[in-house]
Amino acid sequence: MTREEVFERLNKVFREVFDDTEIVVGEKTTSNDIEDWDSFEHINLVVAVEEEFSFKIPMGRVVTMENVGEMVDIILELGK
Amino acid sequence: MTVTSFYFLVFIVIGAAIYYIVPKKVQWLILLGLSFVFYYFSAVPYTIIYLLLSTLIAYITTIAIEKYRDKRTNIAVIACTAIIFNIVIWFLLKGNSFWSHGVLLIEKTFPSVHFNMSVLHLTAAFGMGYYTAQVIGYILDCYWEISKPQKNPFKLFLFVCFFPQLTVGPISKYSQLECLYREHRFSYKNICFGSQRILWGMFKKLVVSDRIAIITTAIWADTISYSGVWPWIAVFLYPIQLYGDFSGCVDIILGTAEIFDIKLPENFNNPFKSCSVQEFWQRWHITLGTWAKDYVYYPVLKSKYLISIGKWSKKHFTKRIAKLIPWTLGMGVLWLVMGIWHGSVRHIAGVSLWYWGILVLGEFFGSVFKNMVEYLNIKSESYSWVLLQRIRTYAIFSAGSVFFAAESFRDALFRYQTLFASIKNLNPWTLFDGTVIRLGVTWGDVNIIILGIFLLHKIDTLREKEGMAREWMQKQIVVFRWGAWISLFFLVLIYGLYGPGYEASQFIYQGF
Repeated sequence: MTREEVFERLNKVFREVFDDTEIVVGEKTTSNDIEDWDSFEHINLVVAVEEEFSFKIPMGRVVTMENVGEMVDIILELGK
Repeated sequence: MTVTSFYFLVFIVIGAAIYYIVPKKVQWLILLGLSFVFYYFSAVPYTIIYLLLSTLIAYITTIAIEKYRDKRTNIAVIACTAIIFNIVIWFLLKGNSFWSHGVLLIEKTFPSVHFNMSVLHLTAAFGMGYYTAQVIGYILDCYWEISKPQKNPFKLFLFVCFFPQLTVGPISKYSQLECLYREHRFSYKNICFGSQRILWGMFKKLVVSDRIAIITTAIWADTISYSGVWPWIAVFLYPIQLYGDFSGCVDIILGTAEIFDIKLPENFNNPFKSCSVQEFWQRWHITLGTWAKDYVYYPVLKSKYLISIGKWSKKHFTKRIAKLIPWTLGMGVLWLVMGIWHGSVRHIAGVSLWYWGILVLGEFFGSVFKNMVEYLNIKSESYSWVLLQRIRTYAIFSAGSVFFAAESFRDALFRYQTLFASIKNLNPWTLFDGTVIRLGVTWGDVNIIILGIFLLHKIDTLREKEGMAREWMQKQIVVFRWGAWISLFFLVLIYGLYGPGYEASQFIYQGF
């Protein structure tokens, strides 16, 4: 799985979770860039990502994740 | 030894002198020694064994978690046992209001049953709520591999008992306090900035908060003489009193730590600027909120039960409602834990239930409210609208604080009853007829309170805009800078309310 492919699938997940077809995420996208991305939606997002990529993200990574770039790193690391 | 006492200032001066003289490698040992001295003079000395016990549990279990992580041992069981141990110790010593009534009821109902209640007479450790929260956070951080376990038990003990934060927090994460073990160079800027922050904290507590406390206490002590508008004044003044007290103490603590070149996390960020209750709780007691979010709210939301409820809701309700159901439950657990941490049923039933209810109502009817604003063509960006929202948030917090400020559940209900009854005979003219003098303050005190509230507002706004009000001050011309600090110093010295032996009254949040 390439980084670009992960971003493509992530965009789909973000659009579904935030109910917004316009969302395009990048390496530096954070919760400040998406209006509805609060602590509750953060977990919704993590659960949706876990379903999309079929693995569990450890709690430690969920708490410390700072931007979408880091999320992609985790997906590439755990999806091997 | 309270942190507003003269002895504490002497203690800091001597402590900082030793700290910067000794070789840098042993600086953390000086902090540990100072923490012991502070504990000895501030609490019942033997209760330090509870801190030692918590540290020991955390030390052994986190080392075990690391050792058995890759083996087939269930490390979750080890982490859970350690957390439960800490909660049980806290529950027995600090949360006795939860179980003592139950035990008495059982003894009354079944006369043949008798419990040995000697635990009731044991004194809880100083700052138990704060350090227990830190220890639980540390165990989970190690379990989740956010932090590496501390191999030196004495260094871990310093994380638990670091002296400034035992009074009222902040609740730090282990990663935020790893700086305790580093080498620290003497810096004139740290000493200046730390002292300035201590002075500002003293002003908030001794000049503003304690002065307001005279008024609010006198009103609630005699609601017959002070009826009409007065109970309402007490209710609306209390948030400022609490803010001055709590954030003032936090300023002293953060300033003290700064003198030792330790940066503790901030606990407040201009809370009365909040336009919603949700925003308010992101600006008020931030470290408790972050702790509850990371170690309670996230794990609950990510548990298989809540995920299943979320999936079930998606099948049976609209997308919006389906999201609100697990959110409401998650928030319920978060507020329940916050209520329990405050240590009484009154806090759970009054304070927690109140905010949880307001937040849930806000989420469920948020879209209706939004549509109404659009329909009425209200300019939501306008200052007047923002101000109205801030006043609304302040009023909600004031109403919730009645339960917090009351001495018991019954007292809280009495206060609400008094408030509603007093609407019938509002007497605003008594504000100017000298009634205020009978409350135990002078017109001069009233003016100082008004000036204090004005300064609090200005400094908080400046801090939010500039990052640090003291940095802004540093850029000003020398006459202004020194003039301002000297004035503040004399304001605290002359107008600070000192009790017998120059010991100020206790801090409201010191009891947790």
